This record gives sequence, C-alpha cells and structure tokens, in this order.
Amino acid sequence: MSDKYRLKNWQELPFGGVITEGGNAADYETGTWRTWRPVWKEENCIHCLTCWVFCPENAFALKDGKTPGGKDRKEIREIDYFYCKGCGLCAKECPVNKKGKKEAVEFIREET
Amino acid sequence: MPKNVAITGNGAMAEAMRQINPDVVAAFPITPSTQVIEDFAKFVNDGKVDTELITVESEHSAMSACIGASAAGGRVMTATSSNGMALMWEMLYIAASMRQPVLMTLVNRAMSAPINIHCDHGDSMGARDAGWIQIYAENHQEAYDNMIMAPVIGENMDVRLPVMVCMDGFLISHSVETMQIEDDQQVSEFVGEKVPLNSLFDTDKPVSWGALDLQDYYIEHRRGQLEAMYKAKSVIEDVSKRFAEQFGRKYDLFESYRLEDAERVIVAINSVAGELKEVVDELREQGEKVGLLKIRVFRPFPYEDISKALEGCKIVTVMDRSTSMGAYGPLFGEISNALYNLEDRPLLYNRTYGLGGREMLLDDLKDVFQESKDYLNNGKVEKIFDFLKVRGA
Amino acid sequence: MSKYFEIRWHGRGGQGTVTGAKSLAEAVQGTGKHVSAFPDYGPERRGAPLRAFNRFSDGKIRIHTPVLEPNVILIVDPTLIGAKDIEKGVNDETVFIVNTEKSPAETKKALELDGQALFTVPANKISYKLFNREIPNSAMMGAFTKACPDVISLEALLKQARHIFSHVLAEHLVDMNIEAIKCGYDEVQK
Repeated sequence: MSDKYRLKNWQELPFGGVITEGGNAADYETGTWRTWRPVWKEENCIHCLTCWVFCPENAFALKDGKTPGGKDRKEIREIDYFYCKGCGLCAKECPVNKKGKKEAVEFIREET
Repeated sequence: MPKNVAITGNGAMAEAMRQINPDVVAAFPITPSTQVIEDFAKFVNDGKVDTELITVESEHSAMSACIGASAAGGRVMTATSSNGMALMWEMLYIAASMRQPVLMTLVNRAMSAPINIHCDHGDSMGARDAGWIQIYAENHQEAYDNMIMAPVIGENMDVRLPVMVCMDGFLISHSVETMQIEDDQQVSEFVGEKVPLNSLFDTDKPVSWGALDLQDYYIEHRRGQLEAMYKAKSVIEDVSKRFAEQFGRKYDLFESYRLEDAERVIVAINSVAGELKEVVDELREQGEKVGLLKIRVFRPFPYEDISKALEGCKIVTVMDRSTSMGAYGPLFGEISNALYNLEDRPLLYNRTYGLGGREMLLDDLKDVFQESKDYLNNGKVEKIFDFLKVRGA
Repeated sequence: MSKYFEIRWHGRGGQGTVTGAKSLAEAVQGTGKHVSAFPDYGPERRGAPLRAFNRFSDGKIRIHTPVLEPNVILIVDPTLIGAKDIEKGVNDETVFIVNTEKSPAETKKALELDGQALFTVPANKISYKLFNREIPNSAMMGAFTKACPDVISLEALLKQARHIFSHVLAEHLVDMNIEAIKCGYDEVQK
C-alpha cells in the first residue's frame, strides 16, 4: 500500500471529511477478496460486453477492435485481477455461458 | 449612516441578514422566529438583497438546503425556534461535522409538550452538543451585533463551524426596543466575503462531501472538529475586538457585571441579565456585594476564564432557563466544571426559572439574592437544585 | 417608583392596542429617547382583554418585565372600566386616559379614583367617524400627547406618526390616522 493510504493523524485530515480526489476507488485493491476466479476464454467470446456492464469493480479492460463485418467496436482485452473480487457475475450473465454449449468466462476455484 | 431605531428583536435580526446579504436563505418559519423570515422575504421581494430564498417544506429540509448551499460555496442563513430546530436535529450535527459555517438566528422557545410558544432555553441547550458555536444575547442590540460578527467567526479558516445566535423568544423577538443599526456599507465591509473551501461549484476541482467514516477515521475527524471549537474561542475574542474598534460596542466571552469585589454572584444567560443588572445596582446601593456573570458564548465554553472571574467570590447561584430531566441544569453543570479545580471554591447551587415563559419580576430576583445571602450566612447550601416560581413548591 | 417613564395600556384583542403601544414607542424614539414596547404575550384572541406596555427613558432601558406601577394608564376599551387588574400598582401620581364618551366626573366615579388626573377621549366615536370601524389607537395617541406633552408634543407626534405610518399604510390611511390623532388631541376632556 502506498503512503497515500497510510492512516493519517487528525491534523492531516481535510475539513469536514471532504474527499478532494476523484476516482480514488481505482487505487483500492479488491482482488484480495477473491476465492473464486473468472477466466476469460478469448476464443469463445463474442465481445457483447455484458460482463463489462455487470462487473461491479470495473475489472474488465477493453481495447479497440472490429466486428466481423469490419465496423469499429470495443472488445474485451483482459480481466484485471487487481480489481476482480471473484463475485462471478460475469460468468453468470455471459450469454455464451447461458447457451450451455461452451464458456466464454469460466468460473473456477482459486488454487489453495 | 448608523441610525437609532425602535425595532423588534426579530426585525433587528432581519436587518442584520439584509446587511450581510447571504447567497442563500432556506427556512420554514415557526413562532416566535417567523418575523425574521417574513421581513427578510420582503427584502428579497423588494430587491434589497441578492439572496436566493428557498421556501422548503420542513425545518429538516431547511437545514439540508443550507448545508448543500454552503457546501456549494455560498454564505447561508436561516432562522428557527424550538420544535423547528428539533426537526433539524440530525442536520445540525451534519452541518457542524461537515464544517459548514451556516448562520442561524435561534429565537429561544420552550420545547413541546405541552405546546408552549414562550421563552426558555430548552431548544438551544438541547443542541449544545451538536457542534455549533452558540452565542447568546441579552437584548436587541446584542443579538444584532452577534449576528454581524457571526459570519466572520464561523467562516474563519481556522474555524469553519456553524454559528447559532440565540435570543429570548417574545421578550426580545417581539418587543420593540431602541437600538442602533449600523451603516450598510460598514457592515458589509466588516463581514467581508465568504472564502469558499472545497466548493461543490468548483468544477475544476471536484470533491465528495458527506462520505463514510468507519472505525479507522471517525474519531480523528471528531478530534479535528473539536480543534476548530478550541480555535473559535480566540477567533471570537479577535472578532469582538475588531467589532468594538469599528462599532464601539465591546463584547467578551461573557460579561462581568460588578464582579470585582462581589461575594454573591448570579450566573445567567440572555434577557434576564437586564433585570439582574437592575437588581444588582439596587442591592449595591444598599451596600450588598453582589454581581452578575452573563454568559455570551456557551459553545465553546470558556471554563478557565470563568473560573478566574469567579475566583474569590463566596457563593454562586446558577440560573438555568432550561431543564435537563434527571440532571442539574446545563449551565450549572458547566459552571460547576469550571469551578471544581479552584482551591478555594465558592458555595454553588442551581435554580431553574422561567420555563415556558414564566415571568421573573425584579422582586423575584431580589428573592434569589436574598436566598444566597441566607445560605452564605449559614455557611452552607440547603438545596442544591430547585425550581423558582413553581406552584406547589 | 421606577426610573423609567412607564405606560400600561388596557385593551382588547383586535383593537390595535399593541400596535398603538409600538407606534407610540417609535414616535417617542424619534425624539431621541430610549423606548420599549411590548404586550403581555398571551394567546391572541379577538375581544380578549390584553395589556401592552411602554417604557421611555433618557438612558438605556434594561428591563423587559411588565409595568407594575405605571405613570400612565390608557384604557383603550370603555367596557374595561372597572375591570379588576386595571387599578393594580396605581398611585396618586398615576394619570388615566380613558376611551369613553362619558364625562371625566362620571368616569372617575366608575373607576373609583382618589383624585388622580383623568382624561377622557371619545376615541371610538372618532374612529367610527373616520374609519367606520373601531380602531381607537391613533385617537388614543392624540389624547396621550394632550395629557403628557412633556413626553412628546403634538407636533412631534404628528411628524413621527406620518413617518411611521407611511411605512405600513396606504397614503389615504396615513392621512386618516393623522386626522384621528388630531381629533383625539382636540376632543380630550379633563
């Protein structure tokens, strides 16, 4: 943990508990909460971004890509395990998984 | 130009608000403070102020709107009484802990039930732990002067706390009395502009207000808030000094009236101090060594200064105009705290008076001094706590 | 005796007694004196007996308690003559000003006075004539300055009253109230 998250003395706190920096949730490692792990299977993924929409920790990173027809679109790049807390919502909501034939997000136990 | 006027206490507070010209006023009028907002609404309507007047649906909303507008960077005022302030309860704490220097006229009125619109201090005393600076006033002039000083105190960068300016319901709020309204321009210069701090309107520097604290930070935030109260004490003294230099009326944290060689002292708050001064003068003429200590600033409470002021007197009667059910009066508690560490402590006792507007005549107050004389002669206090002028006693 | 000049008004809710006390205070304030004005703060009920008070002084007024020993008693409603609490705190010097069409002699008798100065003024009659309703306070103020010219002269009262009324009343009502003060002054009997 950086010094930024050292517990501060009362003299160091801003007035009234105000939070002066935006987006500081990005610094918070929720990956340590994980006991189950989603594994993204690029070969089965249709890049519908349902997992990206549902992920509560914004763990799905995106990249620029093209549709099979050649149009611009966003595609999944990877799961960022610094944030992924292993809730499994991605695997549960994945439309590829729902069809039941193959999995675009596999949900497995963390190794012990 | 300053001018002498005959005006009600509420009218005087509305004048102070007009001169302060706040950015936002959010209020839900309640007796006996109604006229403050009525008069101020006229000023808004007549274009005499630049204020956005928000007419809300409850006092809870009034204080919520005040906090939001203050966090947005504005100078914000309101007025209320009694049950109205009670409905603000949770927001009072939030205003203080979020360090929003909201300014309030509190016209002291008894808490229900039974419903009573008259004066006692049960409302503000109930809110004494909420984190607001509390300044009390004996009369119209003091209430007005305190309100002119309030923004300068509350918005000071070392303080940033809300300020409650209290005056007695009806006795002051509704009576007409001679007082001096200062020059608009001079008041405007005295109060200056509020310097916004982490304003919600500062889009270049966005901030979050009202976040969560768990066990790891809450106590540190409270400690920081307390520091602001400590600092408020000297800020109040400085601002009062500046006020005296500019407008000629001198105020301290409390008023010592003929205390120098006093043996018997009454400690009291607000309008009864006027009557007490009259009685002290009369008894002094008869050679009795009596005096009055009138509290002006109740939060932060100036323990050490008061202990010094009362050192050497022989008996102290604390008159509370509110009751903390099951305990001694709130003012008595503080005076008792202040005196405990004195080596040579005076005798000390507590009398509750004036609940729900029960009047105290000059003769009643002479009786109080007579009782302290008897106690002093006997060398002991017979009853530490009692109600005054209650039937069936 | 108090060191202040003290007045006690006895009226009924809805007659403008409290406004009368406040207006008189403002007028006297305009002459450079310290003043106060306030009623007994009871429930406000039309017709119920009420009291209002004034204190005037060259110095600061520090007390807010009801007037117990008035220099002047103003009885704003004739049906209050003989009411019990009116004589409270009266001494030989107390001056009475009574709204009545009866003679001073009759009124003195009804009030059982021991020779205190008493002035009568038909303030209701004046009020009906001017406003077609019962708001006797302006006429009472006129009678007051006749009885107590040392506190405020008629000229000063008229000047101040015009100034005070013009803040709260339409112009024709200001004129009518000024007229009521003059009539009150003129029709006083001792």
